[in-house]
Amino acid sequence: MNNTLLSLTIAILFGIGTFLILRRDIVRVIIGLGVLSHAVNLLIVSAGVFSGTKVPIITDDGGHGAAEATGSIFTDSLSQGILAPIIEAGHHVDYVDPLVQALVLTAIVISLATTAFILILAYRIYEEYGTTDIRELRRLWG
Amino acid sequence: MDSFTAITIAVFLPFILAGILPTVEKLLKDKVGWYASAVAFLSLIMVAQVAPEIIHGETIQGTIEWLPSMGINLSFYADGLSIMFGFIVSGIGVIIMSYSNGYMSKKEDLPRYYQQLLFFMGSMLGMVFSANTIQLFIFWELTSITSFMLIGYWRNRPMSVYGATKSLIITASGGLFMLAGFLVLHAITGTFDIPTILHNESIREALHSHNLFIYALILIFIGAASKSAQGPFYIWLPNAMEAPTPVSAFLHSATMVKAGIYLIARVHPIFSGTEAWFILVSGVGIFTMLLAGFLAFRQTDIKGILAYSTISQLAYLMTMYGYTTHHEPGIGVAAATFHLLNHATFKACLFLVAGIVAHEAATRDITKMGGLRKEMPITFIVATIGALSMAGIPPLNGFLSKEMFYESSVEMGHLLGGPYTILIPALAVLGGVFTFAYSIKFIDGIFLGKRPSKGLPEHIHDPSMVMLAPAIFLAGLIILFGLVPSIPVHNFIEPTVSGILLEPTTLHVKLWHGFTTSLMMTIATFILGILIYTQYDRIAEWQNRFNAMFPWFSVNYYYDGAVNNAKDVTFKFSSRMQPGPVKNYVIAVLLLTLAMFAIPATMLATNFIPQNLNFDVPLYEGLIFLFMIIAALGAALLPKYLPAIISLSGLGYLVALLFIYLQAPDLALTQVLVETLSTIIFLLALVKIPQKFKEHIPTTTLARDLIISVAVSAMIFILLINATQGIVPPFETLSYYFIEKSLALAGGHNIVNVIIVDFRGYDTLGEISVLCLAALGVYNLIHSRGEDE
Repeated sequence: MNNTLLSLTIAILFGIGTFLILRRDIVRVIIGLGVLSHAVNLLIVSAGVFSGTKVPIITDDGGHGAAEATGSIFTDSLSQGILAPIIEAGHHVDYVDPLVQALVLTAIVISLATTAFILILAYRIYEEYGTTDIRELRRLWG
Repeated sequence: MDSFTAITIAVFLPFILAGILPTVEKLLKDKVGWYASAVAFLSLIMVAQVAPEIIHGETIQGTIEWLPSMGINLSFYADGLSIMFGFIVSGIGVIIMSYSNGYMSKKEDLPRYYQQLLFFMGSMLGMVFSANTIQLFIFWELTSITSFMLIGYWRNRPMSVYGATKSLIITASGGLFMLAGFLVLHAITGTFDIPTILHNESIREALHSHNLFIYALILIFIGAASKSAQGPFYIWLPNAMEAPTPVSAFLHSATMVKAGIYLIARVHPIFSGTEAWFILVSGVGIFTMLLAGFLAFRQTDIKGILAYSTISQLAYLMTMYGYTTHHEPGIGVAAATFHLLNHATFKACLFLVAGIVAHEAATRDITKMGGLRKEMPITFIVATIGALSMAGIPPLNGFLSKEMFYESSVEMGHLLGGPYTILIPALAVLGGVFTFAYSIKFIDGIFLGKRPSKGLPEHIHDPSMVMLAPAIFLAGLIILFGLVPSIPVHNFIEPTVSGILLEPTTLHVKLWHGFTTSLMMTIATFILGILIYTQYDRIAEWQNRFNAMFPWFSVNYYYDGAVNNAKDVTFKFSSRMQPGPVKNYVIAVLLLTLAMFAIPATMLATNFIPQNLNFDVPLYEGLIFLFMIIAALGAALLPKYLPAIISLSGLGYLVALLFIYLQAPDLALTQVLVETLSTIIFLLALVKIPQKFKEHIPTTTLARDLIISVAVSAMIFILLINATQGIVPPFETLSYYFIEKSLALAGGHNIVNVIIVDFRGYDTLGEISVLCLAALGVYNLIHSRGEDE
């Protein structure tokens, strides 16, 4: 979707995130990773290929809505080895790209897992060494 | 059972049964060695099953498809050569593993020891029966690796580690040369299949005239020479003697070091008969034979003598296999093959004796021993038989093959003519003289003479039958092969020689064949050998002086220098490349990414800013963007943790709101839930981390980080505005498929959901696994507290 201001916002988020992960304080680094993952998710969603504007939910209950969705019918046949749809490029689709959304959905959940893990890691590091300064930690480890 | 199945079983049985060896060890305890010998015996039976066919002059071939499109399959080929090696490997395997029951202390890590021995045996069998070069290479390197592990069996001894590393570096990298040689061979012949090349006259003729011929030969020869410790590569074998003695007997005298000889014999029909072959194989062989023979004579460690003597004996074999001319392709082949078999018997026997002596006398230093014949009479007799066979004394088997060696040397000299008529036989005799001298030294040093007054345990005696019987068995073979040579010759040598020369061959080997030139040479050898032995002290003095004067005149000098240098360089390199702070790596990655983007972009000199920019957004969306930037800046700049975290979660909820405008309701929902959860986790964690540290950023660092951040920002912006021009890529995207089939195949209206749970269900499974792992990690991190105290 061509939205220059959105692109600009994502780019600025990237810049802020980058600045944060270069800090010495572990907590700041983790916050920076949070900002970066938001930026990455938005980037992927905004990079979907279709120019459609509809939410990717099929509303027609008729059961033949699928063909109408893309306006073309194609066959896949495992026995003939045809797995991917054959469709001419530049075809108009009403929906926004569902694939990028599915990817980002996974990414959001995974970033929760990693955030939780590194937070607890930071907490344990603080418990063991009494600091969250990366340089001081290196000195303590020798 | 058909023969191909038998070979496959013989190869893979040791691997499979070694796999369950640790379990068997729980039952048998320290008797587990007998299990290993039984496994080796099964392989022996499988090999024996195939033997009659081979003796009849047939060959066996079979294939299990593996990578047929590349022409690489699991295929086995058996001819006389492979069967003889098969017998040596599995037969000596049985002997060695039985002997180990007595040799290895009960306190040793027996499962590891026997497992590795069996792995080795399987690899070795796999190698000799391999029908294609790639498979041969794989098994070849497997033997190098198992050898490495067995030499380093005593992991805490520095010399074991040194020896193991050295052998791996030399033999494994030699193997890579061999692989390169095989690839050149493939480039010439177009096949990896060995029998195809062997049995196709036109391929072999085309090969000989091909201009890559010499490279293939040299590369493959380097592989063979490194494995068989020939030429400058000999240095690894003496250090390999740090292995337990049964391992030395098995790997480093009877089987693994003969892999190079096997390779030379295997490619003999392909490469032999050329000048290059003779110069390379025989030339390196003769040189190594003399050098190692002399060095063996000078050793004081009994295993050292045997190690150098092995090198020298292998060099005999090389020399003889190298004896070919265009018209007479097989002058030395029969002699070499017979000597190969004989060497396996007498050298394994001597190694077993060395093990017994070291075991009983608690030393391997020959200068501290002597006069043990009275205390260990049986060992003495066995050792004498082995050593005399090595020295070439009639009527033992070593005599027969030594005579054949002289005979073929004379013949080769004749064929070459000129000075070679004398030179080649003379060099052969000189090699024999050293052999004779060190054989005598082995017996004289340990068993003859006077027992030293101190340094030896008080009571030395013959060991138990467990250790003695294998040695006696081998000594019996030595006498049997010597007195009735037709048994080995008919059963092993003739089929092997026929296999190598590719035509049926009959040989006549007799103990007595009149006063021939070779008999004269043997007699000369004995006289000169005794002469040299009596002059031992003078030679030793001369050599010590020489070594002191020229320390650089040694391969080890360069090997150690190179290895130490490599260690220094890599240490310096890695300490420069990996200085420590994560920040440096992050900066390096970012800069590299920027460079990868900027360099092609500037080189293409395209217009960075596309014409079609769309600043047209509704006001509410514009406001969201503004708030997002403010929230992100707040997360970055607010000095206290708590306001920063709140600012970050504010950013998260704004992202959720934005997802709604981007037509992504599922994402918005997930984002709200996840953001809530992660805010809670943040707060929980930060309650425990008081904010003590406040980073003071120096101006230069600040400037650098700001520049990097702005550059990243700019890169992303340019990428994005170009990527979101609404141009559908000129290829099909999977998204069409999902939209089309969501309802039809999965019955779901929400396409995103269908992708997550149905089309890409495995990805979601992976995602759930990540969540579980993270949860486990968190749990363990919290509970790892206080365990150290």
